[in-house]
Amino acid sequence: MHAIIINGSPRAEKYSNTEKIIDAFAEGLSEAGASSERYAIANKSNWEKTRTAYIDNEEIIIALPLYVESIPGVLLEFLETLPVKDTNTRISFILQGGFAEASQLECGVEFLKKLPSYLGVSYGGTLIKGDNFGIRVVKEEDVIKLTGPYKEMGKTFVKENGFKEETVKRFAGPEIFPFYMRVMLSIMFKTFAKKKYAEVANEWGSKRTIDYKPWV
Amino acid sequence: MILLIDTTKERLGKTTLDKWEETPKYKSNYEYINASELNISHCLGCNFCWLKTPGECVVKDDYEPILKKISVADQVWLITDTKFGFVSYRTKNIVDRVMPLVTMNIHFVKKQMRHVPRYKKNPDWGVIYTSEGDKDYLSKWCERVAINFAGKSLGAYGIDETWEAVKCMQ
Repeated sequence: MHAIIINGSPRAEKYSNTEKIIDAFAEGLSEAGASSERYAIANKSNWEKTRTAYIDNEEIIIALPLYVESIPGVLLEFLETLPVKDTNTRISFILQGGFAEASQLECGVEFLKKLPSYLGVSYGGTLIKGDNFGIRVVKEEDVIKLTGPYKEMGKTFVKENGFKEETVKRFAGPEIFPFYMRVMLSIMFKTFAKKKYAEVANEWGSKRTIDYKPWV
Repeated sequence: MILLIDTTKERLGKTTLDKWEETPKYKSNYEYINASELNISHCLGCNFCWLKTPGECVVKDDYEPILKKISVADQVWLITDTKFGFVSYRTKNIVDRVMPLVTMNIHFVKKQMRHVPRYKKNPDWGVIYTSEGDKDYLSKWCERVAINFAGKSLGAYGIDETWEAVKCMQ
């Protein structure tokens, strides 16, 4: 298997959580004997070569963050420039998001399921997982703890020839957390998480509180 | 105030306005934005609007005046072309950049984990789409957008159903 992996995140690669997820996933592919080439669309100067790779290859994996319940606007713009191909080409997706509950990614998955048919190609499934916001703000040595599971998924993608429903479900975690967990999280959001975000804002040089209202 | 954001080149939102103006009963306060001629970048995903300059987008183009209007509107209607059954990338860019209106902080609202809104007032959302839109998907997406920004969905209507949309504009 030779896969073209496209990072569909609008964020510059250096800061992209999706890019770090792809790092781990591609390692898994390679351990399972597959090769891969990587592209990213955040910078429009890369669009031409990404499009060429899409046209010349049959195994395409697009990794992307969820943006307001669906795919990011700039990825939509890129996809509009792709020609229609045939079903020998297959697109699979890795959809990631910030919120931890898998149900938050459903609206995005629904779009991705239908997208390949508009491009004339076949669909290889969508791997989903939330709770990835932290990749950007944890220490570098801790990133692997968050992205490690994606390495396993890289191997599984080769072994199972695509993202199969059972695997996807297991990897995604619970659709909705059980009640006790929600109560616990609710307290955490108001205390630990709130404090942590304020700290990050401070590290980033913010002179405002997180809930600052510039227009009132 | 009812805000109509039109990204179609043909300014199809004008049809909505014409229908509206024919009907005195619906003459409430509205604003029309012809966004197809504006310079609006996509969201860069920098998170600065949450963590570095809370409430403010660092991309300085024609978008900020629109966001200010969204923040005080009662209803926002997205008038859009469709591609892949979904809204055009121009419309999606406008929605992706609404993020400064919510904060980094998170809470539960009924069954949903959500970002805490920055302002007290949050608009309801509707979509008016042209050509081959996937009505089921657009309706579902609009519901989800509304949940994200602490409003209600007004629904998704094909351009030939504009009258149904206008009936909600009061």
